[in-house]
Formats: sequence, C-alpha cells, structure tokens
Amino acid sequence: MREHRRKDAVWRFLTYAFILVMAVAMLVPLYWMLVAATLPQDEFLNLTPRFYPGTAFLENFASLQDRTDFVRSIWNSVFIAGVYTVLSVLLCSMAGFAFAKYEFRFKEPIFYLILGTLVLPIQLLVIPLFLMMAQIEWTDTFRAIILPWLANPIGIFLMRQNMKSIPDALLESARMDGATEFQIFYRIALPAMRSSLAALAIILFLFQWDLFLYPLVILESEANYTIPVALAGLEGTQRIYYDQIMVATTLAIVPLAILFLVLQKQFVSGILAGSLKE
Amino acid sequence: MTPATATRRRLWDRFRFARQGLSDRLPRLPSVAYLFISPFFVLFGLFLLFPILYTVYLSFFEYQGVSFDSLLWIDLGPILIDVPRVAELEFVGLGNYARILNDGLFWDAMYNTTYILAIQVPIMIGLALALALALNASFVRFKGVFRTAIALPVSANIVAYSTIFLLLFNEFGLINSLLVALGLEEIQWFRSAFWARNTIIAAVTWRWTGYNMIILLAGLQNIPQQLYEAAEIDGASRWQKFRYVTVPQLKPVLLFVVVLSTIGTFKLFAEPYVITGGGPSNATITIVQYIYKEAFDSWNLGYASALTVVFVTIVSAISIVQVRIGGED
Repeated sequence: MREHRRKDAVWRFLTYAFILVMAVAMLVPLYWMLVAATLPQDEFLNLTPRFYPGTAFLENFASLQDRTDFVRSIWNSVFIAGVYTVLSVLLCSMAGFAFAKYEFRFKEPIFYLILGTLVLPIQLLVIPLFLMMAQIEWTDTFRAIILPWLANPIGIFLMRQNMKSIPDALLESARMDGATEFQIFYRIALPAMRSSLAALAIILFLFQWDLFLYPLVILESEANYTIPVALAGLEGTQRIYYDQIMVATTLAIVPLAILFLVLQKQFVSGILAGSLKE
Repeated sequence: MTPATATRRRLWDRFRFARQGLSDRLPRLPSVAYLFISPFFVLFGLFLLFPILYTVYLSFFEYQGVSFDSLLWIDLGPILIDVPRVAELEFVGLGNYARILNDGLFWDAMYNTTYILAIQVPIMIGLALALALALNASFVRFKGVFRTAIALPVSANIVAYSTIFLLLFNEFGLINSLLVALGLEEIQWFRSAFWARNTIIAAVTWRWTGYNMIILLAGLQNIPQQLYEAAEIDGASRWQKFRYVTVPQLKPVLLFVVVLSTIGTFKLFAEPYVITGGGPSNATITIVQYIYKEAFDSWNLGYASALTVVFVTIVSAISIVQVRIGGED
C-alpha cells in the first residue's frame, strides 16, 4: 500500500513538472518579447540576457512610428477584420439558416459542394484572385482583401449545424403571428444563436487577422498594409532595428492575447466549433 | 393545320405536361430560401469555385502578362459594359506539368516540407496529447490557469511570432546567450540546414500545441466516466486504461487533429518566409513558398498554377490515406 502511494506521488510530481515546463516554455517567448520591447537597442544587443523590463518602450515606439506608420497598420487590420467579421457572420448565418430550416432544390448537393472546398488550402486561390483583382483594378484596396473570403465554408457549416437546434414549432408559431421570414431570422434565429455567433465571429476574426500571403500579394502601398504585411516589411533592410521590431510584435500580439484571456471560454469554443463537429 | 405544326403542338404539350409533373412532385419551395443563400452563393461561386477552376485552366498556359483586349464588350449608349480579358496566355498543354517532373527545386521543396511535417506533427501531437491527459487528471489543480498559459500562443499573430523566433534564434538571440551562459558553444541556427529546419519546427510547435491540446481535451472529456470505472473494477493499470479505453475512444478526435495538423504544416508559408527566408540555400523552402516565388517573383503564373494543382492533389491524397488508415480498426 505504501509502495503504491509512493509511486502515485512520483507520478503526480512528474505530471506537474511536465505541465509546468510546458507552460513556462509557452510563456517565455512572450515575456521576452515584452521585456525586449522596453529595452534600448544597444542594451538589447548586450550578450547577457536580461529578464526585467526597461523604460524605453515609448522611445522605441516613437522610432517605429517614425519609420513606418504602424498605428495605421493596426487600424487597417482592425478595420478589415472587423468589417469582414460582421459581414461574414451575417452572410454565413443567413445561408446556414436556409440550409437548416428550408427545403429547396439541390440542397444536399450544394451543401456537400461547399463542404468539399473545406479541404482545399486557401493558397490555391491566391494566383487566380490576384489576376481577377488586377483586372478589375482592385489591387491595393481593402475590398479586395475582404470580399473573397466572406463566403466562408466553415461558417456556413457551423451555422447550419447550430440552426438545426432551433425548434420548428417556434418558427411556425411566429409565422402564424404574421412574422415575415426575414423577421423570423432576425428576431428569433439570430438571438437564439448568440453564443455560436460569438464563437464564429472569433474564428473569422482570427482568420482574417492572420491572413498573410494574400494581403502580401494584393497590397502595394504602405498606408494600406495590415499588421502581418507591415511586420514582414520591418526586417530585411541592411540593419535590423530590434527595438522597433519588438515593439511592433508586442503591439501585434498583446491586444489579441488580452482578448484571449478575457474571452477564454468563447475562444476555446470557437476553436472547437471550427474543428470538432466534423 | 399542317402536319408539321401539329407535331410541334403535340411535342410542346408533352413538354408542358412533363414540366407540370415535375413541379407537382417537388415540395413547395419558399422562395425566401433562395434570398437567404444567394448572397453567400454568389460570393462563393465568384471567389471560390471560379478561382479553383481558373487555377486548373491557367496550369495549361504560359502567362505572358496582362492583356487589355476585351473579352466582352457591349455598348448600350449610356451604359458600356466592358469585361477585360483576364490574362494574356499561351497554351502549352501539359508542358508545365512535364516541367515539374524535372524541376529540382520543386522536389527540394517537397522534401523539405515532408521532412518538417514528418518530425513536427508527431512531436506536436505527442505533446498536445500528453498535456491534454495531464490536464484531464483529477488531481491536477489550477487547470484553468495552466490551460490558458499553454493555449496563449494561439492568439499570437503568425508573422509576429515568427519574428520573435527569428530574434530568439538569432546570432545574438536569447537562445545563444543561454547556451553561452551554460558554457556551451553558440549555434549558427540559420546557417545550417539541420538547425534552420529545427528552428521552424520549434516555432510551429510552439504556436499550435495548445490549439491541439484544447481539441484533445474536449475529446477526453467526452469519454464516458463509466468506462474508466469498469476498467478499474477489472484491475486495469494506468497504461491499460490508456491503451484500452482512452485510445479507442479518442481515436476520431485524434485522427481529426492529425489530418488538420498535416494539412496545416503542408501549407507552411509565413514561418519559413520570415524566419529563414527559405535558406540556407533553399534548405527550408516550402512548397507554398516556392509557388509564391514562381508566381510573384518570377511571374510564371501558369507554371505556379500547375504547381498548385499538383500540391493540392498531394495534400488531398495524403488526407484521404490518413482517414482510410485511421478509419479502420
């Protein structure tokens, strides 16, 4: 019995040690980034690592802002991802509602066609989309970034699954009361789906926020750069300004990380919603 | 009435009858359903289906540049509809595909991607599974805190975290400083193919382990507790419970995570683009990066499209094989 208990204790210790090591490994790069963002460039290049923050964050930020209008890039990213999320959630939930609650011709084949495109990597689309945008002279515009991804297969799939849980009797009684189909969607379906809509919004926001290859191809002028494109442009010239890069990465990561901490539940259900229900 | 008109009339009647029969057989369609799906479907067709077909089409051509000829030109007085031709192309048949076979750099990129995949995915899934199991153990406290800490990288912007890894593994980066502090040799991470690849593997693992852990954790929590209780009554050891209860129950979720991660790592672009730039001497160039280079550095859009078609075919084939293997018992 005592032997058993000792083995148990060792097991528990090892489990804790593993979790702790992993948690630290995940946090160290982020913490180091925060510290580095507050150090003057010469101190950053000291070979002895330093683990407590300095005071140069604002100076570093000023020199970053001097070199490239990073605040503008943040605004671009927030604007693009925000508009995209609202429109796409609306579009996907409308279509999902139709697929869940109405009968129409070719419903099943259309739905499976949409599902099938989930497997394809989105990089497939970059070349033809670039050519299309070049032809209608939409390159270097936000609409070229937002429009192509609005009809998101994951979104319609998720909304169809969730809209199915709305009882038909509820919709029927609304119809009896003389509600139009659009009112039913707007007044009954959408409010009932609030938590799935939040989860979908998070998936879509993150998707657009992280998009890199496509904006890299489409955007030309620096004033239109999104955060990833602006970040990628920061290094590369002869000299690397570590202080500026660290401030920029901090600004790119910290707001979302805070959002993650606050909306943890929605975040997690958002990730799961996009994955588990296959 | 001439015989010809009579025949036509009969045919027309039959056609109308067939149509009527068809519409009687179908359930009543609320036309509002079409209103709900049409915006989605217009965008879906325009920006997803058309580009996919267009890629396949482009792959048989050599791109010569943008053309200013009109494909469609309708003059209605005040309204002028002018649809420009999408691109000036020269038909080369299967030429692009033949070129792929002898393209050393494509096979290098293929090899690099497969190499990173073969090492990164097992390590990451192993870590994610171990973490999910650990955080699912009944005795562990502060689960929420640990889960949050480990999943935090999920919120990191892809280019931003790649930049952090670039600086972490730089010549004067934190990693080298620590190595020196421990009395070890500095490593030129980006000058050797081996270390450059491992840096990318470390970065991708850092970002996605927590993500996979969350999915696996949800899978674990869906396993009925009675199964474990029954196993315990039968005197099953910890390992036996894992082997005979957890693994079979978790299999669908595990399979899903593996397929998703495989596709994800196959599509690798931002990390090598930012961290190693594909170097040293193309040792870390990935397929998507190579396609990007061909398309937007060299403007070989036709050839890049052929590469894309081959790439997508391979990714889909691998996913199907994984599902087949994982699906049988």
